[in-house]
Amino acid sequence: MKKQIKLVAVLLMVTPLTFLTSCGGDEPIQEPVEEVVEEVVEEVNETYYQIPSPDEMFGFIKESGLKYNGELLNPIQNVSNYTDPKMQALNFGIYSADLAYTAAFEEFNETAKYFGTIQKLAEPIGISSAFDKSLIERAQKNLTNADSLVAITNTSYFAVVDYLDQNEQGDKLGIIAAAGWLETVYVIANSTKYAKDKAAVDRLADQKLTLDNLLAYLEKHNTTDDVKEVLSWFKELEAVFASIGNTDSNEGSAISFKKKENGKMVLGGGKPSKSITEAEFKAIKNKVNEIRNKIVKTEV
Amino acid sequence: MKKYIQKILLVSIIISLPAVSFGQYCNYFHSKYCEPSENKMFKLNGQSKSALFSKGQTSELNVIVYKGQDYRVSLCLDENLGTQLTFKVYETKKVKVEKVIETKTMEDEYKKCSGCNGTGMDGNETCYECNGDMQVLTGNQVEVVSKETRVVTENQKQLLYDNSQDGFSNEIEFSVETTRRLILEVSIPGGGGGGGSSKGKMMKSSDMGCVGILVEHMTTPISGFKGTGF
Repeated sequence: MKKQIKLVAVLLMVTPLTFLTSCGGDEPIQEPVEEVVEEVVEEVNETYYQIPSPDEMFGFIKESGLKYNGELLNPIQNVSNYTDPKMQALNFGIYSADLAYTAAFEEFNETAKYFGTIQKLAEPIGISSAFDKSLIERAQKNLTNADSLVAITNTSYFAVVDYLDQNEQGDKLGIIAAAGWLETVYVIANSTKYAKDKAAVDRLADQKLTLDNLLAYLEKHNTTDDVKEVLSWFKELEAVFASIGNTDSNEGSAISFKKKENGKMVLGGGKPSKSITEAEFKAIKNKVNEIRNKIVKTEV
Repeated sequence: MKKYIQKILLVSIIISLPAVSFGQYCNYFHSKYCEPSENKMFKLNGQSKSALFSKGQTSELNVIVYKGQDYRVSLCLDENLGTQLTFKVYETKKVKVEKVIETKTMEDEYKKCSGCNGTGMDGNETCYECNGDMQVLTGNQVEVVSKETRVVTENQKQLLYDNSQDGFSNEIEFSVETTRRLILEVSIPGGGGGGGSSKGKMMKSSDMGCVGILVEHMTTPISGFKGTGF
């Protein structure tokens, strides 16, 4: 990203010169064309850590048969109580996940309300330009079209991620993504019955890997007190997930891509994920609920 | 004078617009230029990414792929970076390994106090409780290496796919049987850097461009007669 800024800075300086040179007079200039050369101060290998967006999780839970539960959402009336920048960013993440949840389950009225709420919250956070006019118009026109609405809620989420990424606000993006991810895990954990919903329980256990990516991202952007605090909450959750042993062993992994008879590649083999016990499930759920309560609480 | 300044400002802004837009050039590069699947069941995955690369650069994208999903990863790049890139997929996992940690410290050197027998002095030096071994300071220091075995957690990478073994294909499609954390590693050839760090290296703007990694996903279709009533 530093390179980009440097490149832009060099181009800003060079472009007017090029412009003036090319329009400098009637006689053509016979000077040899030289390429712009700039010094890249730091050109090191970059590592990016991605977090699956809420819609991917909610699409899954809908397919696995879990029912919609509107009581799990953070009420939109709470939005005016979030005045602290950290709480605004955290709850932007929470409301973004709630928006994806309502869209996935075609709760159109709720979707409209939550879209309005994140739009409202985007302003004090300084990301309202991520919501361009055409996006808002498209959302308003497609409020009863399930597929379009999911696509639009995704577009708004990706626009925010991209905006913060391009503007080097990784700390803010980390906080928003962390809260968004937490809300999806909260919804799954609180919609799932351990004995009945095996697929959802397994998906919850798999979140250990996503949490690894999230922690790595937060560590990378651990430059502010807000990120440090959020990181400490999620490290507590990591400690709870650590009791699940499916990835902490180096025995018999050996996964590979294999071609099946129909030519399709399959990533498989190795040791299957270990199912979590009911006690582990409850421990994860309790910790997730505890962190989520810290985020959505409103001062009386 | 004020009008003159305003004019200069306006001209500067107009002139610099292409440069500013170049800086945002990589925005949505993957959505605009990477070829999506013809299968309409595939949806854009939020783990897709675009970034500015230079020739010789290698970057990694850590993604999560879930059990029961099909994924398609396709790559696209600016013309000035060439037409071919190296793309590798690794599995990354945290493993607990035993490590022997060596620590080196400088400590006082002792010598045998054969002249001592219990307490007292050996020449000018104090002779402590001496049983005949290593009790008298020589005045020198020696390096002492102590070893300690600790259990540490580290990330290990296992290569799963290398597009150089697959005709430098720019896309891969697969089903996932077990949720995994993967590294998608992209390298742009050239630049003489060999993919490593090139701090302070002079770069031409023509050696830089955008690379997009488009990730798409869908639920793995059920094959056979499952759920058809037969």
